Amino acid sequence: MSKRQLAMVMDLNKCIGCQTCTVACKTQWTNRNGREYMYWNNVETYPGTGYPKNWMELGGGFDAAGDLQPGVIPNLEADYGVPWDYNYESLMGGQADSNTFHPHISPTWGPNWDEDQGAGAFPQDNYFFYLPRICNHCTNPGCLSACPRDAIFKREEDGVVLVDLDRCQGYRYCIAGCPYKKIYFNPKISKSEKCILCFPRIEQGLPPACAQQCVGRIRFVGFLDDEESQVYKLVHKYKVALGLRSDYGTQPNVYYIPPTESPAKFDAEGKIIEGSTRLPIEELEKLFGPAVHDSIKTLKDEMKKRKETGVSELLDLLIAYQHSDMFRLDNHYYQEVAKAAKRNPLAPVDTRYIAGKFTKAGGHH
Amino acid sequence: MKKLLTTILSLGLAASAALAANPAITAVKVSDSLDMIKADSDLWSKAKFETVVLYPQTAIEFNDKKANAYVANMKGKKAQVAALHDGKNIAIMVKWADKTKDVEQCMSSDVYTDGFAVQFAGATKKAEPLPYIGMGSAGRPVVVHLQKATAKVYEPNGNKDVATQINRQQTGVFGQELAEYDAKVASLAKTDYEKVFVAEGFRSTTEIKDNSVKSNGAMVHSPAGWSGTLSRPLKDEYVNLSGTVPVAIAVWDGSTMGRNGLKNLSSWVAINLEGQKANTAMVADLSTDAKGDAAKGKEAAMTNGCTGCHQMSAEDAQSLLGPSLKNVGGYATAAYLRESILKPSAVVVPGYNRNAHANTPWYNIEKGKRVSTMTDFSFLDKATVDDIVAYLKTLKSEVE
Repeated sequence: MSKRQLAMVMDLNKCIGCQTCTVACKTQWTNRNGREYMYWNNVETYPGTGYPKNWMELGGGFDAAGDLQPGVIPNLEADYGVPWDYNYESLMGGQADSNTFHPHISPTWGPNWDEDQGAGAFPQDNYFFYLPRICNHCTNPGCLSACPRDAIFKREEDGVVLVDLDRCQGYRYCIAGCPYKKIYFNPKISKSEKCILCFPRIEQGLPPACAQQCVGRIRFVGFLDDEESQVYKLVHKYKVALGLRSDYGTQPNVYYIPPTESPAKFDAEGKIIEGSTRLPIEELEKLFGPAVHDSIKTLKDEMKKRKETGVSELLDLLIAYQHSDMFRLDNHYYQEVAKAAKRNPLAPVDTRYIAGKFTKAGGHH
Repeated sequence: MKKLLTTILSLGLAASAALAANPAITAVKVSDSLDMIKADSDLWSKAKFETVVLYPQTAIEFNDKKANAYVANMKGKKAQVAALHDGKNIAIMVKWADKTKDVEQCMSSDVYTDGFAVQFAGATKKAEPLPYIGMGSAGRPVVVHLQKATAKVYEPNGNKDVATQINRQQTGVFGQELAEYDAKVASLAKTDYEKVFVAEGFRSTTEIKDNSVKSNGAMVHSPAGWSGTLSRPLKDEYVNLSGTVPVAIAVWDGSTMGRNGLKNLSSWVAINLEGQKANTAMVADLSTDAKGDAAKGKEAAMTNGCTGCHQMSAEDAQSLLGPSLKNVGGYATAAYLRESILKPSAVVVPGYNRNAHANTPWYNIEKGKRVSTMTDFSFLDKATVDDIVAYLKTLKSEVE
């Protein structure tokens, strides 16, 4: 466990599945150097196969006794999807196949292959919602526990989980160990890579790119021990934000406001069935645990209170008026940490090995 | 005939134990320099090959579900090992059968590569006890040379050449210019996956990146399998090899998802440098069978409750507390087994992340040292310990 923990809250009531976060992350980090296929941030349709395909069935995480569970490493083509390209060059050059614009392979799978499909029968009771996912920067990370090389570490100052690329040898047990499959193998450099919570931005007091760019303003970022942060209020004060699949035992630090309202079902004549909701509560319970009932109740009570009295701190918070309120990141804090460590700025290295613990002078950089 | 058969049957246990010890290898002295020797060198015709058996690593189980299904059926592999030396360098050739040539193409997330490694004991004041076979132990370092069959690896080289990291479609250039860009990117890739590590116990392994260790490794595939060669200096900052050189060999098979601990490995093997004074005690330890009565040892192991924490055979449940011993006879030396029974805390490697099984800690940290949770069996008499060691030396899988 780290001294402090950064956390993110995502309000699923407001996610419109526009993938702006996905693109913000991709252009910032994963459009190059073997990371092309990776989506450190993705937005999937729930219910659905998710990304990578059927990630919830691929093992990893811990059982009730605290033992790491074996898992499966997804296949690039079948489970993640190969990023295909188009025949730009032959089109530009007027070559034989230039009359058609086509991908260089026949795509069989990709992220969001089943976008907006959801479940149920249209128009009676079909439903879905969007589920944006990044690394959960878990308090008890499955990836870290699975690594036999001590190549994954959790930063003391903010709990960000990082891969020490110098130590990583590309064994991929971390991928089997992460129940969220949010750590990826970079085949080009033969090492594992993952969401870094945009720590170079965070250290400058800026939120992660996905949160900054979110057009629905669904993402809140702050330290969980900072009572002034909206993250603290949503997670601890109102207890409306819940971890995803906490039953995996990794203690995730990305929290979700569950979808609170869903439209009513239609009957055979196309008329509204009063009092019905399309989104089965069992689905939400599966994702967010039994606390989801209390969370939804609190949200509904506050909505009612707002309607009646015009006042609700929680709803004001969820309206997300100002980025400056949604993101409470303290660059002074990081400057102090860097100063104390006699480093400026903080470097993305694992301090446990910085002095070359097992090599002689100069052996480990 | 009947009598002979009976004798053979009654010697069955002893005969299988006789397979335990790997023969000592003679490193033939040559006058040509070996620092750049390749597999096709004529010098290898002088070398004397010996059979060394490599057993599947099953001391600990990893968390890869698909790979573990392969591990369950893994058998011992025979390798032909020979050595040469020129007074300054030692060269080792390892030949092993592998019908599938698995070379990492750096294209997929779940493809693994063939490879081999040679482990040397690091320089310490006393040569024995030898380091723990699984990457050494505290105060008993090892140096491991790893060679993998990898096409091209684009390691971040620290030169800040970010301009060549972008996707080719984002370069904004076509035709000749794009071809030039591709060539530039390809030129930055490492084409030889050869690494040298220093370790004081499994998990502590650290790559030596300052070029302070010379390593000349290569792998050549033929329909029969791989020939791996390695040459390195007899002396450098990390090792000081003379007389009798203990080495351990490991091979990985990519087609069964081999990497890291998912491998076959040998016990320590003695290589005598021709023309130098051999360490006869070490040769005897590594090349002769353990004394003791294995049948009595099995009984003693049962009486003393070894299976409470250790898996001894495939039928026993895999325990999270103690390492599985079902192949320990294949890769542990008798001296190591004896030491572990009498002084369980003498070798406690950092090992698998304890957080993976937080409720079954196999060691505690006391005054900064790892103290094994295993009972101290130093109360056992010498004969019983010898018997148990002889029994443990019989624990190993069949050989392919």
